[in-house]
Amino acid sequence: MSATRTPCPSFGELADYWTSDITPGDAEQIESHVFDCERCARLLAEADRLRTGIGALARSGQVHGFVTDAILNRLARDGVRVRSYALGPGESVRCAVWADDDVLVTRLRGNFAGVESVDADLRLDSGEEWAHTTDIPVPEGATELVMALPAALVRAAPQIPIRLTLRESASSGSERVLAEYVFDHEGALDRGTSSNDRG
Amino acid sequence: MILTPPSHGLYRSVVTGSRATPLSTCDDGVLARTVSGAAGEDASAAETELYRRFAPRVRLFGLKHLSDRAAADDLAQQVMLVVITRLRTGEVREPDQIGSFVLGTSRMMVTGKNRGERRRAAIFARFDAHEQTIDPANDLALDGMRLAPCLAALRERERTILLLTYYADKSAPEIAAAIGATAGAVRVGRHRALASMRECIETRRAS
Repeated sequence: MSATRTPCPSFGELADYWTSDITPGDAEQIESHVFDCERCARLLAEADRLRTGIGALARSGQVHGFVTDAILNRLARDGVRVRSYALGPGESVRCAVWADDDVLVTRLRGNFAGVESVDADLRLDSGEEWAHTTDIPVPEGATELVMALPAALVRAAPQIPIRLTLRESASSGSERVLAEYVFDHEGALDRGTSSNDRG
Repeated sequence: MILTPPSHGLYRSVVTGSRATPLSTCDDGVLARTVSGAAGEDASAAETELYRRFAPRVRLFGLKHLSDRAAADDLAQQVMLVVITRLRTGEVREPDQIGSFVLGTSRMMVTGKNRGERRRAAIFARFDAHEQTIDPANDLALDGMRLAPCLAALRERERTILLLTYYADKSAPEIAAAIGATAGAVRVGRHRALASMRECIETRRAS
C-alpha cells in the first residue's frame, strides 16, 4: 500500500526466502517489499505454511518415495523411527513392519553407471500394480537408491511378495531393466503379541 | 479526516474527502496517520487494523531471523507495541512509510538481546486479545491435511527437492550434488514443485 513499491516477486522467489539459498541482500529486498505489500505478505506466509507443512509431514513419517541420506539423518534427529533393509539386484528380503515403526527404508543396491534417472514399479505377486513412480534422480557414481515408505502404508499392504523393478527412465528412451528386487512382505507385527521378534 | 462513530472495531471507516473508506481497505499510510491523529476508541480501531496488517509480517520476519516460532510471536507483539506507541506520540516522522518503520523496528529488535519478563508480561497483557489474529496454527493444520496427497502426487525429483530444501535445510548446490543435477535445475524444480503444490491444494480446497 505504498506509492513507491517495487515489483511483486513471484511465489517461487518469495518461497526462496525460506531457503538457505537466499542471500542477505535478496532477503532484505523481499522484506522491504513485503512490509509494503499485504498481498506478498500473505504469499510469504503461504510459503511458510507450505515449508512447515512439508516438515511436519516428514516428522510424522509421511515420507513417501526415494530419499537421500540427508533426509534420513534429519529423520533420525527428529526421532522418527526408521526400519531399514538392504538388498542387491535379484535378491529378496523377508520384511515386516513393527507397531512402533514410522518409516520403512530399503537400500536398493545396483549398477546405475551412466543412468541419470530411473522409474520404479512395485507389483504384487498377482501382477497387480501396487505403486509406480518415475524420474527418480540418480547422482553420478551412485551404487544404491534409498526408497522410503510410511510404515502405515506398508501395514496396509497385503502379505504377499511384492516385486520392485527399476528401469532406466522412459524419458531417456531406453526403459532398460536395471534391477529387480522382491519383498516377502510378512505384514504388521507387534512386539507385545509376537514371539518372533526379529527387530 | 474524521473517524466515523465506532460501531464494530475492524469495520469502522475513515473519511477522506467526501467518501468513507473502511479501515480494512485504506492505505497503510492513511491508517498510520489515523493512529497518530485520533484518540480513544477511534485510535483503538485503527491500531487493531494496523496490528492485523503488520503483526503477521513481523512474525514472518521473526521466523526467518530467530528460527523459533515462540520468539517470532513475541517479536511481533513487541514490535507492534513500539510502533503503535511511537505513532501515538507523534514520533513517526513519515507515517506514509509505516512499512519501512515497522521493518526497521523489527530489525532493531532482532539484534537487541534485552527483553525482560516485566516488559514481556506488559506486552502480552496489552495485546492478548489480538493473539488469535496472527496465530496460523489452524491454517497450518488445514494445509497439512491437504498437503500429504499433494506432496505424494509430485514427480519424484521434485518431491526430493522439496524435502531436501524445506525439511533437511539443504541449499541448491548441496541438493544438486545429492541428486545429480545443477543448482539452477534444482531452483527451477523447486519453483515448479511449489507451483504444483499450490495448484493441487487449491483444487482440493475447492472440491
